[in-house]
Amino acid sequence: MDFRFSEEQEFFRKTIAEIVDKMIVPKAAEIDEKDEFPWELWKEFSKLGYLGLRYPEEYGGMNADKVTTMIFYEEITRGSVGFAQSVIMNMLMGTYFIHRFGTEEMKKRCLIPAIRGEKIATICFTEDQSGSDLAATRTTAVRDGDGWVINGTKMWITNGPICDFCTVLASTDPSKGLKGLNFFLVEKGTPGFSTGQVLNKLGCRGTLTGELIFDNVRVPAENFLGDELGKGVVYVGDILDEVRIMTAAMALGIARAAYDEALEFARKRVAFGNPIGRYQLIRAKFAEMTAEMQAARLLMYHAAWMLDQGIPCRKEAAMAKLYATEVCQKVVDEATRIYGANGFAYEYAPQRHFRDARFVLYGGGTQEVLKDFIGRLIIGKI
Amino acid sequence: MNIVVLVKQVPDSEAMVQVREGGSAVEVEDKYTLNFFDSLAVEEALRIKEQVGSGKVTVVTLGTQKSVEALRTGVAMGADEAVLLDDPALIGGDEYVTAKALAQAIKNMEYDLILCGREAFDDSSGAVGPLVAEFLGIPHITVAVKIEVSSEQRTVTVEREVEGGKEILKAPLPVLLSAQKGLNEPRVPPITGVMKAMRTEIKRLDLAALDLPATEAGVAGAKQEVLRYHRPPERPPVKIVEGEVPDAVRELVKLLKEEAKVI
Amino acid sequence: MSAEVWVFAEQRDGKLRKVTLELLGKGRELADKLGVKLAALLLGSGVSDLAGELTSYADNVYQWDDPLLERYNSDIYLQLISHLAGKETPQILLAGATFLAKDLFPRLAGRLDTGIAVDCLNLAIGDDNLLVATKPLFGGKVLADVVCRKGRPQIALVRPNTFPPPSLSGASKGEVHKLEVSIDPDQVKLEVLEVVRAAKERLDLTEAEIIVTGGRGLKEPKNFRLLEDLADVLGATVGATRAVVDSGWRPQDDQVGKSGKTVSPKLYFAIGLSGAIHHIMGMDTSNVVVAINKDPRAPIFQYADYGIVGDLFEVLPLLTEELKRELAKG
Repeated sequence: MDFRFSEEQEFFRKTIAEIVDKMIVPKAAEIDEKDEFPWELWKEFSKLGYLGLRYPEEYGGMNADKVTTMIFYEEITRGSVGFAQSVIMNMLMGTYFIHRFGTEEMKKRCLIPAIRGEKIATICFTEDQSGSDLAATRTTAVRDGDGWVINGTKMWITNGPICDFCTVLASTDPSKGLKGLNFFLVEKGTPGFSTGQVLNKLGCRGTLTGELIFDNVRVPAENFLGDELGKGVVYVGDILDEVRIMTAAMALGIARAAYDEALEFARKRVAFGNPIGRYQLIRAKFAEMTAEMQAARLLMYHAAWMLDQGIPCRKEAAMAKLYATEVCQKVVDEATRIYGANGFAYEYAPQRHFRDARFVLYGGGTQEVLKDFIGRLIIGKI
Repeated sequence: MNIVVLVKQVPDSEAMVQVREGGSAVEVEDKYTLNFFDSLAVEEALRIKEQVGSGKVTVVTLGTQKSVEALRTGVAMGADEAVLLDDPALIGGDEYVTAKALAQAIKNMEYDLILCGREAFDDSSGAVGPLVAEFLGIPHITVAVKIEVSSEQRTVTVEREVEGGKEILKAPLPVLLSAQKGLNEPRVPPITGVMKAMRTEIKRLDLAALDLPATEAGVAGAKQEVLRYHRPPERPPVKIVEGEVPDAVRELVKLLKEEAKVI
Repeated sequence: MSAEVWVFAEQRDGKLRKVTLELLGKGRELADKLGVKLAALLLGSGVSDLAGELTSYADNVYQWDDPLLERYNSDIYLQLISHLAGKETPQILLAGATFLAKDLFPRLAGRLDTGIAVDCLNLAIGDDNLLVATKPLFGGKVLADVVCRKGRPQIALVRPNTFPPPSLSGASKGEVHKLEVSIDPDQVKLEVLEVVRAAKERLDLTEAEIIVTGGRGLKEPKNFRLLEDLADVLGATVGATRAVVDSGWRPQDDQVGKSGKTVSPKLYFAIGLSGAIHHIMGMDTSNVVVAINKDPRAPIFQYADYGIVGDLFEVLPLLTEELKRELAKG
């Protein structure tokens, strides 16, 4: 066993942490407050090339291993969840299907600019009536000559209101349920493709999330992203572990941001003549938070390591997400308590972490669905 | 234009630093970073290289494996090569021996310019730079806030900070310059730099490669030795200056001057 | 004759720097303890008056007086001092930890194959009659006592204001040695083109060495004039609390605190502010904190080193005047 990061991973972590501290942390409160997409920061940050982390070098990427990628997700989320969410969407789900199935032309048009930050990507799963229950997807794609015509409305789309292209989940055959689902590329400017309502969210503010409307959107045949029809859900399965571990990394990032604030406060805040960090009840909180965060971190990086080794990790990835997101809830809660009444005030950061933390409970599927899934894996079909 | 930059990995300013019982050693929380003034030096070297249009930037440090991070950060920013003076016998020395070893390494390199930070956060003496210049027999200018290199004339014009003003000096190459706050805004390493940094081979020089006898390195060669470490006195409770306002003000100024020594 | 204790007499614009006098005082104490003579090194142009002044403190004054020395040039100073040190072999050499000394003396240590301790906060004579110098590490979080066994002189650069200036004995009994300024021009590679005496530009809060921060106790934006005046005298930067910034009295850029800037200057004045934790978290690493507030129970006093309980409108003008007077003394 070897629980260390490699020297390279350690160096990467340190470098990205310093970049986050320098470029993102100072802007986090403002991003949250304004709830506007931070274009300036986006340009400045994407210029550095980190958005290509997981893609091959020929597309401007770094071909990084999963552990390194998770280090990145954790650190950038620690800086600002609102910003991180947009970044990660461009890096992972927003571009995954184009990289995997898209034509070279499409990659030039969409993937490479997305890696450079020149285009904003997203993926559309969720609808008003379907989240984790993908079989309930009502958006349709109907074959029409040499192309496809897409109709439907997607909801909760991260980057939706500002996206340049999106990968849309649509049913080509509603009678087949999950096996009728497929992915299609739709680019901005395609007739019938428009944005709808922009959501006003509790947390992750700064990332614009909203509705995308497909009204007789006609796309060419090559915009079907897959090897064969009906395998959309299988492809989702291929990326699911990475997405779950990523969500765990984000949860840890949020937890660490809150924890760091709380630690600083506990060392500095004086009550009854002592810094509050001298009191046992406060110390107990740190003992618990630190132990639980470490447990979550081990679960998360272990799952990422399995992914790197090609070891199946469906259960481990799901457990990492389940546990890290719950630890995240606890840590942001304790951080606001340690802050006392100040934790209730908008001018201090803990309330922001407290709000942001809610997102990881639902992002990528609810905890309830996840628990059932893990339980099913353990107990088996009985 | 070949530029050597002296760098150092130092504890972050927020790292906890504690004195071991008995004062024999210092324990530092594991939060290290490239010394701030050194990052200015790296940045300046890169700018000069870019402006001149040719040459290479080599980052050099003396230390343990931990110091490799400082080198990699330099490479990530854009430095071409990295050299670690790597020998257990080199560790634990003072500014004098450290500079001697660095000079010994640089002597065998091609260089037109040496840059370093004004001082390192850990010992903050700022002595290594000028000492290296001395051992190499080249001029030096400390606390530079503006550097202009003329590669044709092989000179530098340097604006340096002094109490109550500025000085402008000119020196022939090669010269050693130390970087002061205000010199530039260090760049954030791009991912291509980080990739390069992770792959770059760190050139390692031991005592033999440096052609240094063990008696002139590390603890054995140091001119200075630490008798003991101790904590500065804790911040005492506030001293409220009593009395009528004019008297209190006079007393306060006196305290700031003579007791706190801050004005 | 035993090896002397030397003090580098730094002068600027024809005046001895204050730290020089402080070190002459301390140097005398060390020399007496060692039973040796105290000498001062004086370099400059037209400095014979200063040499005379130095004889009140030192037994020997080594004086180099030449137009060449009007402006500091390390290449020239180095040659002269190292030459004399080679001849006289002093055992201790003290200088103020000024820009000039930090530029010059590390290099001298190299030339003389000896050690140097910079930014010293205390000096004492220890076992074997060695100089024990106390210097700060890690931004002052730790102090180290160091000795130099293997080289002479033992060089220490001492922070200004570390030692009290000596009281004048009256009689000037020292002897001035006028030394020839002979230098090897081949060894002078630096050229000083220009020396600009200028007031420093006002630094950003995060870089400032002294900060003067005002809170809502200032009552009105125009009253920040009082802080500006104080800052002018100190070469300080003016900060503000969040309440002040939120009220639009001062720009966002001036805000010290958790959602503003985190600062750790060497001297911090907290004026008319209560010390909300928000503010404290932005400034509590300051070296020395002075609080001025009319409420003795204001939390800021818990984080301050010095405090005046009083009306800032009465205190500030007096403080500015007093500082102006003190600083004019040099």
